[in-house]
Amino acid sequence: MKALQTIRSSRKLVTLVWILGLIILWECGAFYIEAVKRTPENVLPHLWQIIASVFSTKVISNGQTATQIVLTNAGATLLRAGYGFLIGMAGGFLLAILMKLSGIVEKVAFPYLMLIQMIPILGMAPIVLAITKDIGVSRIVIAAILTFYPVCTNTLAGLKSVEQEKLDLMYLCAANRYQVYWKTLIPTCIPFFFTGLKISAPMAITASILVDTLQGDGGLGCMLSQSLKHAMSIYVFWQIVFLSAFVGVASSWLMGLLERRFSPQKRLAARKGA
Amino acid sequence: MKRNGSSSRFRQSITTVLYPLFFGILILVLWQTQALHAMLNIDPFVLPLPSRINSIIGESLPKIMTNVWATLIVAVAGLLLGSLFGYLIAIVATVFPKWGAGGLSIVTAFNAIPIVALAPVITNWTKDVSSDANIRSMVAKIIVVLLMCTASMSLNAYRGLTELRPFSQDLLESYAAGKFTIFRKLRLPNSVPYIFTALRVSVPLSVISALVSEYFAEYVIGVGRQIRENIVLGQYPTAWAYITVACLIGIVMYAVLIVCESILLRHRK
Repeated sequence: MKALQTIRSSRKLVTLVWILGLIILWECGAFYIEAVKRTPENVLPHLWQIIASVFSTKVISNGQTATQIVLTNAGATLLRAGYGFLIGMAGGFLLAILMKLSGIVEKVAFPYLMLIQMIPILGMAPIVLAITKDIGVSRIVIAAILTFYPVCTNTLAGLKSVEQEKLDLMYLCAANRYQVYWKTLIPTCIPFFFTGLKISAPMAITASILVDTLQGDGGLGCMLSQSLKHAMSIYVFWQIVFLSAFVGVASSWLMGLLERRFSPQKRLAARKGA
Repeated sequence: MKRNGSSSRFRQSITTVLYPLFFGILILVLWQTQALHAMLNIDPFVLPLPSRINSIIGESLPKIMTNVWATLIVAVAGLLLGSLFGYLIAIVATVFPKWGAGGLSIVTAFNAIPIVALAPVITNWTKDVSSDANIRSMVAKIIVVLLMCTASMSLNAYRGLTELRPFSQDLLESYAAGKFTIFRKLRLPNSVPYIFTALRVSVPLSVISALVSEYFAEYVIGVGRQIRENIVLGQYPTAWAYITVACLIGIVMYAVLIVCESILLRHRK
């Protein structure tokens, strides 16, 4: 009886019921569309049709099945998103440290950090492509810019959140600047840094897919727009939609996982909560 | 001593303005004198000079304005509807804590879905809304912006509605206040600053979503679409004019938000 109660009140069950509800909603829609539309698979196919297309061995183009097309192109897109993400992460972290170290750098960079937040970088994707002339490079550049500012602003907020008492203690221990940063400031800002990463990981992937759509050079976005124009099976489109949604959610979740590995406080809190 | 302190603070605030201003002017000068092009190895045709961009904005102002309106309507309508929707979700989650909070985690997951996956699906789904392609794609774009803006509002508003000051709920309950009274007198006012926290995230997001959803819309209108169309045609100066306008839209909307916030929250500080 008690076991039943814990199962009923667990969060996982609640989430599961919600997901089930969404699936039922989708299927109801799919049945409705099937009844009224001539080409229901373009608007809202059944989920099992999409799943069947994943496992189908029918060759669609270039001697590849739908799943092979999606996976090879996903590799190219995600790799570039990953490079950009790493560059943006390192850049954002370094700039935050620099801004903490030097007042002049902070004063110069801070308004521009605020400004870059309001500028629609994704809208500028075509022009970055025109400047770099190479789709791979522009994917990396845009993913890096998009990663850069959430990481930088969050890390800076973390560096500033260090309590004065801790700094006083370090001063009493005659710590030099390097030790203050390495032992006090950086460990404190790590959770903030990961908050930034959680925001920017899905953004980097979005950026990379969006840049793909601009040029017919492979990549998820390119396949997405080709499939929409019916140059290949529409199920490629649906697979990409679900894959990118999944990867977006998974990337954010992965950052949370990494955060728990790297910050002992969070591990402790998680254990207490469990 | 005191005067000395205030003058050093004055110097501080002066440098806060002057340093970035100087940096900005430096970049503009480098750009205009083509030093920037030499450094980054870019053709002035791809990255036109600021004076040229400026003159193009002046020349084709009426055409730019129609596109600005199209984007602005989508961004603002999507932002308002999405925020309203997000707030309603937060209220539902507050009233039914157990099931609602689980629903919120689903909303967070939705937030991580890339907009490039969302926009074409929504465009597909709204094919029957109207026979006019302009209205049809307008509805699709607004829905995309709406969905993008919902998550940040629902998460923040939920925090605002539930993270009350210690004992304030107990106090109201000791007055025998009903649930509705607690909601109206305590939870609602408590959530107002959180609404602005959410808007600070979703205002830039709404502009970005509006621009990107234009890429996938049927009807060719809007600042984002014009950037892309002009680049496809090789008209880089015009594309840059639209980029400048897009940045201005983002900055102006953010500025409006900050002004609203400082007016509405002035009693709180």
